[in-house]
Amino acid sequence: MQKESRGTIMKVVPFWGCMMPLKYPQMELALRNTLPLLGVELADIDGFTCCPDPIYFKARDKMKWLVTAARNLAVAEETGHMLITMCSGCISTLKEAQFLLNEDPALKDEVNKRLKKVNREYKGKVIIKHAVEMIRDDLGLEAVKKSIKKPLEGINVAIHYGCHLLKPSQVMHVDDADYPNILEDFITAIGANPIEHYEKVLCCGKGCMDDELPLDMTEAIFVSIEKSGADCMGLICPTCFSSFDLGQIMISRKRGKNYNIPVIYLFQLLGLAQGLTVEQVGLHTHRIKADKVLEKINGSVKV
Amino acid sequence: MVVKMAKDKIVVNYRFREKLNKVSGGKHHNYCYQCSACVAVCPAARFSKKFNPRKILLKALLGMEEELLGQDSPIWLCTNCYSCYERCPQDVRPIEVIVALKNMAVEKGTAPANLAKLSDNIAKTGMSVTISSAVHRKREQLGLPPLKTIPIDELQTILEDKEVTSTDETVDK
Repeated sequence: MQKESRGTIMKVVPFWGCMMPLKYPQMELALRNTLPLLGVELADIDGFTCCPDPIYFKARDKMKWLVTAARNLAVAEETGHMLITMCSGCISTLKEAQFLLNEDPALKDEVNKRLKKVNREYKGKVIIKHAVEMIRDDLGLEAVKKSIKKPLEGINVAIHYGCHLLKPSQVMHVDDADYPNILEDFITAIGANPIEHYEKVLCCGKGCMDDELPLDMTEAIFVSIEKSGADCMGLICPTCFSSFDLGQIMISRKRGKNYNIPVIYLFQLLGLAQGLTVEQVGLHTHRIKADKVLEKINGSVKV
Repeated sequence: MVVKMAKDKIVVNYRFREKLNKVSGGKHHNYCYQCSACVAVCPAARFSKKFNPRKILLKALLGMEEELLGQDSPIWLCTNCYSCYERCPQDVRPIEVIVALKNMAVEKGTAPANLAKLSDNIAKTGMSVTISSAVHRKREQLGLPPLKTIPIDELQTILEDKEVTSTDETVDK
C-alpha cells in the first residue's frame, strides 16, 4: 500500500480494540488499505488492552472499567501522537473516561494511584478521535476527494450512525446528536448519495440484555431502509455491524423475513471508491452478500 | 409501578439513596424532577412496556431497593444508547444512574448470569473477544499483521486491588 500513498501527512496511533482485529478483521484491513491513501501513517504500538467495553464490563464495575481505560490512555499519551479509534465502543469508553477524569481531579488521583503500580500515569493530554472525526477535522474531506479514483456515483447509502459516536455530545464533541452530518459529508465525498430514512439515528439494540427487544429494533431499521430505496447500509460501528449482518440471518431464521440489505463499513466504501478490490476491503467476508450493489458500482465506474 | 401519592403514606428509603450516592454516577439521581424527557427519546421504552427510565429514577428517589436490584429489575433492558443522557435537562445522566444500579446488583449477586459470561474475558485475557486459532487464521488469510502482545500482567495488577473500588461500599441491611 505504501507505494500508492500520498506521503505521510499525519502519524497517528491506532487503537484497534477487540471487535475489529478479532471478530471483523475485514474492517481493520479496509482501514489499513485506505488510510495511507489519505496520507495517514498508522503507528501501531504494543501495550493496549480492550478499551474496555462500555456496556458489560462497565456494568460490572465502573471503577475497574475506568482504570482499564485510563491505562490505555496513559499508554497512548506516552507516544505523543493522536490516538484514533475506528470502533464506536472504543471511542465511547475512551472519551468518557477522559471526560470523567478531567471533570473530577479526585477521581483522577484515585485512578492514578492504581496506575502507579505499573509505572503509568494519566496526565490528561492525549487527543482521542474517531477516524471519521480525524478525517473531517485534521485532513479535511478534500483529502478524501483527492484519493478517489472511482466515485460511487448513483449508489444510495442508508447511513446508520449508531449511538456512541455522537452521544452524549458533551462528552463526544463530534456532531449534533439529532441532526448530524459528519457521515453524510463523508459519503458525499466518495461520490455516493446519503439516503435519508426515518430510523437513521435509532439504536441497533445490541446493548439490551433481552432476546426479542434488540431484534424488534434492528427490524424497525430494516423496514425504514427498505422504504428508502437504499442500495446498502453504511456504518462505522462493528457492534452495529453484527446486529445488521448476522442480525439479518437471525431475523430470517426467527421471523421468516428476508431483507437482504448489504451492510458495509464506511471505510470499505471508501476503499471501493479509491479503486481497491472487494478482497482488499474484505467485503467478501460478509454474510449478506453485496453482489447487487457491487454490480451497480462497477456499472457506474468510468474507467 | 403505581405510587399512590394522595392516599398512601410514602416512605423513602434514604439509606438506599445514600448507598447509591457513593457509587460512581449514582449521585446524579438526586437531580431528577421527573419530566419524562428521557422516556420520549428512549428506544427501550418505545419497544417495551417493561422499561421506563423516568420510573427507574422515581424508584431510585424513593429508595425502592428490591424493585431496582431484584432478579426481575428492568435495568438490564437499557440499550446503553445514551439518548437520555443527551436529552436530560437536569444532567441526571440516567444511563449512568442505571450503570450505578447495575454495579450495585453485581455486588449484591442479583445481576443476570450471562453478564459474567459477557465480561469475564477482559480480566482474564485483556480482550473482550476470545482469541482462538480461527482468529489468527482469518487474519492471516486477509494478510493482516500478527496481533500485538497484550499486557495482561499489567492489567491484572491494576485490577486486583479491591479497596479502591467505590462499589465496595456496603451498608448492612
